[in-house]
Amino acid sequence: MNTKNIIFYVALLVLTAIAPFLFPDFRTQLATLWLMIVVAMTWDMTGGQMGYNSLGNILFYGTGMYVAAVISIGMVHDVGAYTDAGRLELMTFTERQYFVGAIVGIIGAGLFCSVTAIVVGYVTFGLRGPYFAIGTLGVAIAAGELVSNWGWIGGGQGISLPVYPGNFDVGKLFFYYLFAGTGVVLFMFLKWLYSTRFGAAINAIRDDEEKAEAMGIHTMRYKLTTWAMAAFFVGIVGGISGFQLIHFEPLETAYQTTNLGIFMVVCVLLGGKGTLWGPVIGAILFHFIKEVTWNYFLGWQWVALGALIVVTVVYFQDGVMGWLAHRKPQSPRL
Amino acid sequence: MKKLTYTGLLAGLIAGASMLFAHSSMAQECEDLVLGSAISLTGKYATNGVHAQNGYEFAVKKIAQAGGVKVGDKCYNFKVVYYDDESKGDRAATLVERLVNQDKVQYMLGPYSSGMTKAIAPVTEKYQIPMVEAEGASRSLFNQGYKYLFAVLSTSEQYLASAIALAAEKAQASGSTPSSVKVAIAVENDPFSLDIRAGVLEDAEKFGMQIVIDEQLPRDLSDMSAILTKVKLLKPDVLVVSGHSKGAATAVRQIGEQNIDVPMIAITHCEAADVVGNFGAAANDFLCSTQWAESLTYEDPIFGSASNYEKEFKSAYPEYAQKKVPYQTAQASAAVYVFKDAFERAGTLDKQAIRNALSATDLATFYGQIKFSEAGNNIAKPMVLRQIQDGVYNVVAPSNFASHALNWPRKP
Repeated sequence: MNTKNIIFYVALLVLTAIAPFLFPDFRTQLATLWLMIVVAMTWDMTGGQMGYNSLGNILFYGTGMYVAAVISIGMVHDVGAYTDAGRLELMTFTERQYFVGAIVGIIGAGLFCSVTAIVVGYVTFGLRGPYFAIGTLGVAIAAGELVSNWGWIGGGQGISLPVYPGNFDVGKLFFYYLFAGTGVVLFMFLKWLYSTRFGAAINAIRDDEEKAEAMGIHTMRYKLTTWAMAAFFVGIVGGISGFQLIHFEPLETAYQTTNLGIFMVVCVLLGGKGTLWGPVIGAILFHFIKEVTWNYFLGWQWVALGALIVVTVVYFQDGVMGWLAHRKPQSPRL
Repeated sequence: MKKLTYTGLLAGLIAGASMLFAHSSMAQECEDLVLGSAISLTGKYATNGVHAQNGYEFAVKKIAQAGGVKVGDKCYNFKVVYYDDESKGDRAATLVERLVNQDKVQYMLGPYSSGMTKAIAPVTEKYQIPMVEAEGASRSLFNQGYKYLFAVLSTSEQYLASAIALAAEKAQASGSTPSSVKVAIAVENDPFSLDIRAGVLEDAEKFGMQIVIDEQLPRDLSDMSAILTKVKLLKPDVLVVSGHSKGAATAVRQIGEQNIDVPMIAITHCEAADVVGNFGAAANDFLCSTQWAESLTYEDPIFGSASNYEKEFKSAYPEYAQKKVPYQTAQASAAVYVFKDAFERAGTLDKQAIRNALSATDLATFYGQIKFSEAGNNIAKPMVLRQIQDGVYNVVAPSNFASHALNWPRKP
């Protein structure tokens, strides 16, 4: 890494750290932006780098949300009693219980989702191309329906977590830095990972899986490991989201296949598949466009989103990064 | 002559100017007082979201006509900023952030449905924004310890409690015991209906009734034929259905189509779904729980009596002329009225003071008495149960409000 690059990354880090102070009214939106960046980058791990387009990564988001919440509630109260529809008594958390529960829950969510990815992946990675996409989508939808019928964790009414204890402005910073921290760690991890033999191996799987297999790459092991790593990070941001949203329900908030589940794919397509920066740029662009259309073209927002997807898929299949590479083939890749 | 004309002109000018002045000073007197609301204008709760929005707007207009809101020596008119939450909880929560951060809204009116209210309440709580909500009845809203949430309506478990009591009464009258009554429950999988279910289960247990069906309606709520087939086989004595307007419409339509013969059928949201207008005779003898009925004897100085509210609302919104004004609309208007009362008693715009004034509310309205518990739910107003008798909604329970006897058993 040369000096110019180092200065660039340090500047970005500083910007990340001070962004919530530069735009204090937009802290929640900035936190959501980091969420989008994380889910886009993790989607690209399998979709862009490994050639497995999953439509079911939202599975880990929802599962992470529920696992984190159930762990943090379970550490203090009886979960079934807490989520009971007719509960009358107040069930509270002390400040210490809140933070310990949140941290343990969020880490637990990441680990649980990794294991889930290995189990689900063992079955679905036998599928290729569109079959894999539909298969994973099916798993995510089924998971949402299962959770919505599981009374012990609140069923269709969802779960209400405690409100952030203490000063709320600090709370917003807390969630921003949790998301941003996860994003920065993930970015550095991927930057390293894609430069290793592991990165080359999953690229080989994308380019020609049979050839990769013939060259002695144990493709199943690589596929499972990649998805498990992606699921870990999605599970973590899912867990954080649960605490940030406070109340969530299974079908529209946790396992939101038609919203976030699709948005993450659009982000990557917009930015450029199979690149390190593509998902980041795509997520920023997408989040910006989404906020603008949802705020100023209310009523037309889904039309605008549909148009964006069509235009991207038809005219910019390689996304922003692909377009840049085409325009300036000599420029060094970031 | 010429001079006279000048004088006349001058006088006219002065008169005109003073009228202008008077007019502008009147307009100046009442400033806007902004309330925010994320409400479902599209998506599965759109029907009731619009009912609620109309209720808010009608109250805003009525209060302005009655001289506005007097806070100290200033006068204000309410103005509500709306966003469409698309019937999605996470969207609703984001919109509240936007209302608070970008639109600088300091006071909130609630969204439609318990689910949306559950999504929003933590956000208003975080920002310490007082919210008066009119459409979230689930008890799970009031066991979180929220301090800034106030609900004008009765909680969900009370919706169908009198139906279960009536079934027990009828069982006794016909020579059997309440414990022989078989209850079938079909509810939507959402916070409101799950609390309805919890309430029915508690009441049924009190009488020792048997629950023969306890099912959740499919998510799109446009088909419950499978559950009804089961009802046909198991022949329950009471069938309880809850699923907002869509659930009510589906239930009435398919119960009619499949000739389901159950002596007592109790549902929610009859008026909001306009089941009489849409399905005519098929809706006969259904029991409908309601938060409010225009035939009740409540009144207040702004809206007059309950029946006057209905009359004026219908003339302001002609699209309701052929149907019942749903209680979702009435309670939305009541919520705005509660805010007016709190602002005037607080005598300041400080949101903390408004919160305290709200919690001390004890207000007689056209919608019923409003007094909040520590948890924020209204504990002063009972639910009533109406039966659709030949296309007319008649109050049949509780007994102190009942104007008509119950038609039982129901004829399919």
